[in-house]
Amino acid sequence: MSTVMDTDTAVHGAAGGSVAITGKEKRLLRHAMMPHMLCPGCGHGIVLDAMLSVLSERYEDLDNVAFVAGIGCSSRIIGYIDACTLHTAHGRPLSFATGLKLARPDLTVVVITGDGDGLSIGGNHLIHAARRNVDLTCVLLNNEIYGMTGGQAAPTTVLGAYTSTTPLGNTQHPFDAAELAKAAGATFVARSQSYRPQVFGELFSQALDHVGFSFLEVMSDCTEYFGRTNRFGEGADMLMGQARYEPSIDADLARIPTVEPVTIKQPVRPVLPIGVLHRSSRLTLEETLGIEGGRSSGVADGKLDDAVQRMDG
Amino acid sequence: MTVKTIDQPGTLVEQARDLKEANEPAISQGNLVLAGVGGQGIIMASNIISLACLESGLDVKKSEVHGMSQRGGTVVSHVRFGHEVHSVMLEPKQAEWIIALEWEEGLRFLEYLKPGGVAFMSTERRIPPTAFADRLGGKIDYALGAGVPRGVVPVDTYAVAGEAAAERPVIAQTVLLGALSVDMGLSQETWREAIAATVPPKAVQANLIAFENGRTWYERWKKTTGSKLGSSVKANDIQQPEGVSPGVSLGGSSNGPSASASASVKDWRGGAPRIEVIRDWCKGCNICVIVCPERVLSLDRFDIVVASKPDRCTACGLCARLCPDMAIEIWVDTPAHVGTGGE
Repeated sequence: MSTVMDTDTAVHGAAGGSVAITGKEKRLLRHAMMPHMLCPGCGHGIVLDAMLSVLSERYEDLDNVAFVAGIGCSSRIIGYIDACTLHTAHGRPLSFATGLKLARPDLTVVVITGDGDGLSIGGNHLIHAARRNVDLTCVLLNNEIYGMTGGQAAPTTVLGAYTSTTPLGNTQHPFDAAELAKAAGATFVARSQSYRPQVFGELFSQALDHVGFSFLEVMSDCTEYFGRTNRFGEGADMLMGQARYEPSIDADLARIPTVEPVTIKQPVRPVLPIGVLHRSSRLTLEETLGIEGGRSSGVADGKLDDAVQRMDG
Repeated sequence: MTVKTIDQPGTLVEQARDLKEANEPAISQGNLVLAGVGGQGIIMASNIISLACLESGLDVKKSEVHGMSQRGGTVVSHVRFGHEVHSVMLEPKQAEWIIALEWEEGLRFLEYLKPGGVAFMSTERRIPPTAFADRLGGKIDYALGAGVPRGVVPVDTYAVAGEAAAERPVIAQTVLLGALSVDMGLSQETWREAIAATVPPKAVQANLIAFENGRTWYERWKKTTGSKLGSSVKANDIQQPEGVSPGVSLGGSSNGPSASASASVKDWRGGAPRIEVIRDWCKGCNICVIVCPERVLSLDRFDIVVASKPDRCTACGLCARLCPDMAIEIWVDTPAHVGTGGE
């Protein structure tokens, strides 16, 4: 892509001989909107921050990048990115993005959604966008609760967690969003944490590079509702807590007998792997529809013909 | 037997000598290294071990390095006991036991383990946010040491401690002392008294339960898996993380390594970093204050972050990266050789 800058230039080439340590330049931020509406210590802000760092490195301007989002705290963060942004109906950002991508295949389309927006209200749209393998990047910010509407239980709320709709503790099993996307046919699935902005940056960069439906789940924190009702402490405590229950060297330690795992009184986030979880290659929706101007998935042309024939047949 | 404190070494030693004939411990001398990160209770654990040894009529010397412990930095403590101990410090391959309260720190200090020694290592890991890039993709930028090195007893401290650590997770580390007590051979009563005398009064009961759980677990572990380990550690089997020199943090005073590290960063970056805070954007969430390893930042009376000790900044960038409000940025000068790809 012509707008991709050389990384060295972006990081080290700033005027005045002084560079920002994060490599992030605030030129991609809508300064008139700042400070943003997120609560103190909200993990979404860290994700926005890391996202801007990646975008500053990759693009000179965001004229050819479109951000699409639905409703929720997570979706609100696109309002602070100085790109083409589309704030859509609740749960439907992927539908809007699919249409946008098919109409303008030259655009890089990024969908920002949350666990309520993407998995509950828009759960159907997520699995079908993954099935169709539209060439776009979906970033799902998972804070395990409906933050904007008052702290109700979300489909990702862990068992036992207290929310405003589960005052005695949640009794329903949560979704594993990454597994869901993988099963639905997403060709790139990854997970990161707001505790690790550099990991997020690298995965986001890989997701943008990937041709096809790339799904990136980010474990984030809701300090005001999830943190407060479950007494997880303040923003810093929750952030540190993300790494606390990470697996150790599980593969090697599984054979070591230990006592039965304890039931911890406080609900804790289950240990989830982070990194690239799945990567494959499939024809994109643009290719099967024969729309010109998008990126090529690299799958052989013969298979393309077969696929189109099967569709026609 | 009454519990004594370390404040009266003279009387303790005298009493210990009297006690020695009556209560001769099964083990007469040994060396330990305790390692972990700040806040896990390494110093307290080494105090408990020292007290237990003193009570058993042994001479003990203990030294610790905790100056780098700011919020997750490394802490290491050396404990030597015997009929008469002269030197406080250990050299590599001298420790009979290593107690690691954090897995990575255990790997770092594993070179202190004597061939045939046993390292009790908690499987808890506290990886700093900037330490690696992709766990599943295998692109970890520092060596974790594949698998479990020989001589190491991995202990899932939270699982072993069980309910005892439900209220205060730090109590889980006491199970390592329980496991150690099986091998060290001092009387159980001595251990329990040492724990009761050292930990805060309200946590005594939970610590004793965790200690007992650790003891039971390790006895069972020895019967099932342990026979393969323990006596067959060779130096070559111990995998050292690459690029980490475990001796460095032990060398100087607590301020020494910190000062030299920041100096080298500043040399490389070509000048002191400049901390930029946008006051209007800061919401006072305190994350930057907590994560800063050098404690550069603090909140002022309006709950807005200020760089109160800017000269300490090493430009690690954690505050800037983890600030949800984008209120902090660190600016560093570019020295000529960075731009031209020198280093």
